[in-house]
Amino acid sequence: MDIQYAFHALGVIVLVMPTLLLAVIGLMSLIGRPLGETMMARWTEATVTVALLASLGILGLMLYSGVRQVPIELGNWVVIPEQHFHFHLRFVFDRLSVPFVILTLVLVGTIGAFANRYLHREPGYGRFFLFYAVFLLGMVLASLAGTIESLFIGWELVGLSSALLVAYFHERPSPVVNGIRVWAIYRIADAAFLVAAVALHHLTGGGDFSGLMGTEPWPYGTASLTGMQALFVGLLLLVAAAGKSGMVPFSGWLPRAMEGPTPSSAVFYGALSVHLGAYLLLRVSPILDVSMTLQICVIALGLISAVFGALAARVQSDIKSALAFASLTQVGIIVVEIGFGLRYIALIHIIGHACLRTLQLLRAPTVLRDYHTLENALGQNLPQQESYVRYITPSSAQKWLYRFALERGYLDAFLDTLFVRPFIKVFSLFNSWERRWTDLLSGTESTEALATMDPSTTGSDGIKDIK
Amino acid sequence: MENVIDQTGVTTLDGMCAKIQHLVEHAAHFLPAQGPIDVFVHHNTLHAFEDLRFDQAVMKGHEVYGCEPYLSEDRYRAKLKRGRFNTDDLFEVLLDDLEDEAHVLIGFMGTRFHLRLAMLEHALHTGPVAELRWVISETDALSQFREEASEKTKSRMIEQTRRWVMRDLRNGNEQADPRIKEVVENLFERFNGSQIDSWSDRIWEAFTLQLLWEVCYIGAESANGFTLPATPRLRHRDLLLEATGSDIDDSVNAVLIRFCAAFLDQGFSNWPLPDRDAGFFAAFQSLYSSGKTMEWWLKGLPTELKRIEQEKMSPLEIIADSLQRLGLSENEYEDYITQTLLALPGWAGMIWQMETNAEWTVRPAPRGTLVQYLAVRLLLERFAISAFYREETGNNLPLEEIGSTLKQQLEQSVSVSAVERAYLLFQLAQVRGWNPHELHQQNQEAWTRLIREIETFNAFERRRIYHLAYERRYRHQALDAVSVIAKQAREQRVKPGESERPLFQLVTCIDDREESFRRHLEEIVPECETFAAAGFYAVAMYFRGVTDAHFRPLCPVSIKPDHYVTEEVAYSLTAASQSREEARRMLGTASHRWHMGSRSLMGGIITSVLGTLASIPMVTRILFPRTTAQARKLFGSLIQPPAVTELHLYREAETPGPDESHLGYSIDEMADIVERILQDIGLTENMSRIVVFVGHGSGSLNNPHESAYNCGACSGGRGGPNARAFSKMANSPQIRRILAERGLVIPEDTVFVSNFHNTCDEDVTYYDLDDIPRSHRKEFEQVRAYIDEARARNAHERCRRFESADLAMPVSKALEHVEGRAEDLSQARPEYNHATDALCFVGRRDWSRGLFLDRRAFLTSYDPTQDDEKASILARILSAAIPVCAGINLEYYFSTIDPDGYGCGSKLPHNVTSLLGVMEGAASDMRPGLSRQMVEIHEPVRILFVIETTQKQMLGIMDDNPTIDTLVRNEWVQLAILDPDTAEIHVFHKGEFKPYHPETDQLPQVESSFEWYRGQRDHLGFAQITCSKRESPSKTRSGSKENGEVA
Repeated sequence: MDIQYAFHALGVIVLVMPTLLLAVIGLMSLIGRPLGETMMARWTEATVTVALLASLGILGLMLYSGVRQVPIELGNWVVIPEQHFHFHLRFVFDRLSVPFVILTLVLVGTIGAFANRYLHREPGYGRFFLFYAVFLLGMVLASLAGTIESLFIGWELVGLSSALLVAYFHERPSPVVNGIRVWAIYRIADAAFLVAAVALHHLTGGGDFSGLMGTEPWPYGTASLTGMQALFVGLLLLVAAAGKSGMVPFSGWLPRAMEGPTPSSAVFYGALSVHLGAYLLLRVSPILDVSMTLQICVIALGLISAVFGALAARVQSDIKSALAFASLTQVGIIVVEIGFGLRYIALIHIIGHACLRTLQLLRAPTVLRDYHTLENALGQNLPQQESYVRYITPSSAQKWLYRFALERGYLDAFLDTLFVRPFIKVFSLFNSWERRWTDLLSGTESTEALATMDPSTTGSDGIKDIK
Repeated sequence: MENVIDQTGVTTLDGMCAKIQHLVEHAAHFLPAQGPIDVFVHHNTLHAFEDLRFDQAVMKGHEVYGCEPYLSEDRYRAKLKRGRFNTDDLFEVLLDDLEDEAHVLIGFMGTRFHLRLAMLEHALHTGPVAELRWVISETDALSQFREEASEKTKSRMIEQTRRWVMRDLRNGNEQADPRIKEVVENLFERFNGSQIDSWSDRIWEAFTLQLLWEVCYIGAESANGFTLPATPRLRHRDLLLEATGSDIDDSVNAVLIRFCAAFLDQGFSNWPLPDRDAGFFAAFQSLYSSGKTMEWWLKGLPTELKRIEQEKMSPLEIIADSLQRLGLSENEYEDYITQTLLALPGWAGMIWQMETNAEWTVRPAPRGTLVQYLAVRLLLERFAISAFYREETGNNLPLEEIGSTLKQQLEQSVSVSAVERAYLLFQLAQVRGWNPHELHQQNQEAWTRLIREIETFNAFERRRIYHLAYERRYRHQALDAVSVIAKQAREQRVKPGESERPLFQLVTCIDDREESFRRHLEEIVPECETFAAAGFYAVAMYFRGVTDAHFRPLCPVSIKPDHYVTEEVAYSLTAASQSREEARRMLGTASHRWHMGSRSLMGGIITSVLGTLASIPMVTRILFPRTTAQARKLFGSLIQPPAVTELHLYREAETPGPDESHLGYSIDEMADIVERILQDIGLTENMSRIVVFVGHGSGSLNNPHESAYNCGACSGGRGGPNARAFSKMANSPQIRRILAERGLVIPEDTVFVSNFHNTCDEDVTYYDLDDIPRSHRKEFEQVRAYIDEARARNAHERCRRFESADLAMPVSKALEHVEGRAEDLSQARPEYNHATDALCFVGRRDWSRGLFLDRRAFLTSYDPTQDDEKASILARILSAAIPVCAGINLEYYFSTIDPDGYGCGSKLPHNVTSLLGVMEGAASDMRPGLSRQMVEIHEPVRILFVIETTQKQMLGIMDDNPTIDTLVRNEWVQLAILDPDTAEIHVFHKGEFKPYHPETDQLPQVESSFEWYRGQRDHLGFAQITCSKRESPSKTRSGSKENGEVA
């Protein structure tokens, strides 16, 4: 009983700390008294450290007691009995979520210390740490989620803060454009996720993962779905994961995400955000066992992404894009591992890769010095490693492959041509129909048409206008 | 251009190609001139316009690049408020600027001078029409006077208006403009005019202001304002952007950035661009002429590339073809080409640098690459223009007609709207006290004149005047301080041969960062002397250190060295060194494999699984940078080469070269070097027993601009080897013998010692300590202790500038702080480099010794008494010092004025690309210039040279050296001379030297620098430090001890 109590207390601390951080930073700026740099750094440090210690405590207790799954119930928030719907906040500490939440706290905490100095005197310092707090909360919620709804909340917070951080330098146009692009792709992933959540509710009567996969601790659950159901839900979740992890065909956003300050690029897109898709698949991995087709889809998508990422990383000539695609490669491989059911390996892979990539991205600006150091150690120019791609492909295809990689697989152009432009065209057409219709009804030109006219030409009778 | 026209008057193709070639090369001069970032050389950002006067050039820069010429008015006014300059300066500068026109009367408004002064003294708000409308209708602009309007003016205006309204207007005594009548009636209605007798003051105030506004508006409308010439929009892209809002550059640049980065890549990606060696266009062609294009706007590109291939068109022909297809006339070519190249200036500039100025890189670009780039760019633009035009308008117009069609659509001149004019007038009227009645009486001509007068003194002109005033204040403060110290020095000078032999002498680079280092040393040991010469110490060489892979030039960029020098492990340690070298190579190969592998498919799996280990260095390096660095150093020392090395300095073969026997210098060449430097700094007699030469550089992590922090006189390299080579030469008895024959006697007991000063972590490492004879070792230990104390104090003075360093930090903690900064991955400001530089002194140290210069001055030692009639020593010093210091100063100026336009923006999103430069994010233009973090404390003023010489000599040097002459006469630098005999100062102004009369002969005196800067973050004024005064020998060390304790 005591140990249960300790588990519960520690679990609540892990959850409350990020919430507290966000509340403090957010509320203080909301009431017009934003925290100063020092205070913000202290709050961040304190909350992350406490949460980290608590999660380490849980790990210790789990090892000590042999308990492998600790649910934390925070009550039913919405119950609609007629519809069999209940919205239930439930978090789970298990073999999957504990390592992941520790990883999150270590990386995010280190980045907090890094960003505190890196963004010193930056006008957007407070804004950065606000998004940072949102991100942290999102990551913690998503990793510990015991129901698909709580996972969705975390997932959304991560998405929102990521997109805002890409657009951090909002005084320049391109970060904003890229931020919106990332956001748009996240929305597609979110839509797929939401449909999957609704479908799960429909199929299992609730959003609990335990309802879906039994009460056995991860990774031993068994899905209570039929093969077709699993395929349907699984494919939707796969789309969601692909969007979040920048897998094919959504990979276009990965280099675009490098518009933000180095620390956010490092931890968010290089290490944590990109793995969230894989984490989702890990979390629902029992349903993969049910459907062979789904497994094949997962493996195929992972493989394609891995090969594409490796290819693209080879030709990038800037450090951050190269690292972004290198991340994609590993995420692809992780997804393949999940597809094959190698869940522990996938988890170890995620953790190792996230640490390595964060360090690499953080020291990305040192690349020149590193190259000189290496050159000096070798006593010559660095050998440009002959890519094995060049041995295994005929020379006619090489050029095509190179261009494919240089153009980042044409993925953005592909999405633009196939979806974005037709979408915009169709809705512009609707707009013009609607305008024609309203013009006809009102008998005058619509105000929209007037609004697009140059304001300086309308104000020639200045003085009366001003009054 | 006759040669390009054939008999029929039509330009031939060859002629056209020659013309285009010429135009491209001409346009290339407008591109940024920064080469690869690891050899960062500071230069004047607007070097292309140096033949113009500074104020014209900055406006030209505004026109060509769209960058700011000066700080904003708000920032100048903030500086005015903070006391960085004052109204007197504005007053003087304005008078000087207007010359005879100052007292021209402009109708009722008083003189031009007063009008302009009023416009400077009070912030004039202006903005887009919509914003002004909002200000008028939503703020209290029409109900309350501006804050600056004096109470007197205010009450007088209200009184006069009241009289006018009550007496004349209401009774219809005056033949007022019908519009005014209408306005007044409306106002009466609003303010309840029937109660006019009982109106409160506040109502009268509002009434007056509203009336004033209406009068101003009517007047502004009636004036024949002159229209500003509309900026010509030549590029289709600009026309299209204005007409439709879509920007083809976004799409075109995206393709080009990827391709340029791949083409210029110096070996980062491990799959090089296919057919790179065939050239830019050929590589592009081979990549894009097959297959389909996915971008919707590039449909047809492969076909067009195939046509070009079949017709065997040269890049120049392609450009000619494209220009023609775009429907341009020949006289538009020049501007069109320039503007097109400036659409992606960073990359185009880097291509030009790689093609003209980078033969030493791994992969320079072949000649003609910029032309080929332009050919590709125009080709892409052609497709983009057609496609976007079709997309946006639905019309399928032939390409050559799109430009003219768009131009017709957009034909309109830019004119300042009446609201904007009226609002300026309205604000001025309040502070100048022009009442509505008075204004109302002006006829159209007077209004026109007034408006013209105001618009001539537009925001740019006002900023120019602010800037001059801002520079004036600092110039006067500096010259006053120099004048005080120079007069003292003149009185205290002793005859040559009578002075005491100093305890030791120290020679540093002229760098502004060494100013404080020297000052602190002189405070600690008043019996020492310090000198400065350009930090390559006349040893212009290609140098390769013992662990370096390549030779690197260590001399100013203007010099191409002939000599090669290597550092070698001491002969006795060769064997030990080889095994370590082997270990280094193995580790290097392994770590290279790891780096590359971590980005590949299979290697990635292994590295990722082991990746958890990376969390250890990551966490420790970020949380404990200094300790981690120490640990790494300890580990590194196991594989470092043995500490004992020597320079290969003596050449055996006849000619210099990079091969074994050709390394080094001949004896005579070395003697020349030693003689030259000692003469330059005037250290030809009274040499002390120990002379220390200091080379400098800077080491910091996560800083792509690291090389910019190094020694400018060593082309962004580290100057340690130069100091070391110099000392070695000067210690050689053989060379001393030759020098003695030439009349330069180095005393036998004088020993030269060299070291390297890291200006970031304040570390000082010594070279060749074994060479110090036993007789000198004790003294050397003493000198070393003094230098250690100096670097600690220097670190402390630097810390006052870092906001993250506590102002109350004790001196003992300062070194730790700067060491941590240098090793910190997250530190965006490892040091402030040349920021705040504003002065350059050339002359004897005695008139700057003991002067607190706040690390803002380059100091060059020069003794005019040892120079000849024509000042040939000075001429050779200045030929390097003026361009180099001006280059540094002007680069800081422009990067501060417009950090995003001229500088490279914020450091935070920087991304090293192609190992050549930085981009913002993953696909932006290459960003040359300095970052916001580097310039944030800089005060953008043109550097002031104070040179100890005579007018005649200075003018002679200017006549002989066109570079110096241009920089000085075109006002890129400020110049003052200090007479060596009389210590009088003349300032070069408007083409001649004019005597400077100090504003004061007082200078604050403090015991030590510490007392002056303690607790201060901001720029500090000048002060005299008393403890560094060289006392008579009777009062020796005791004074310095005390100072040590003060700190």
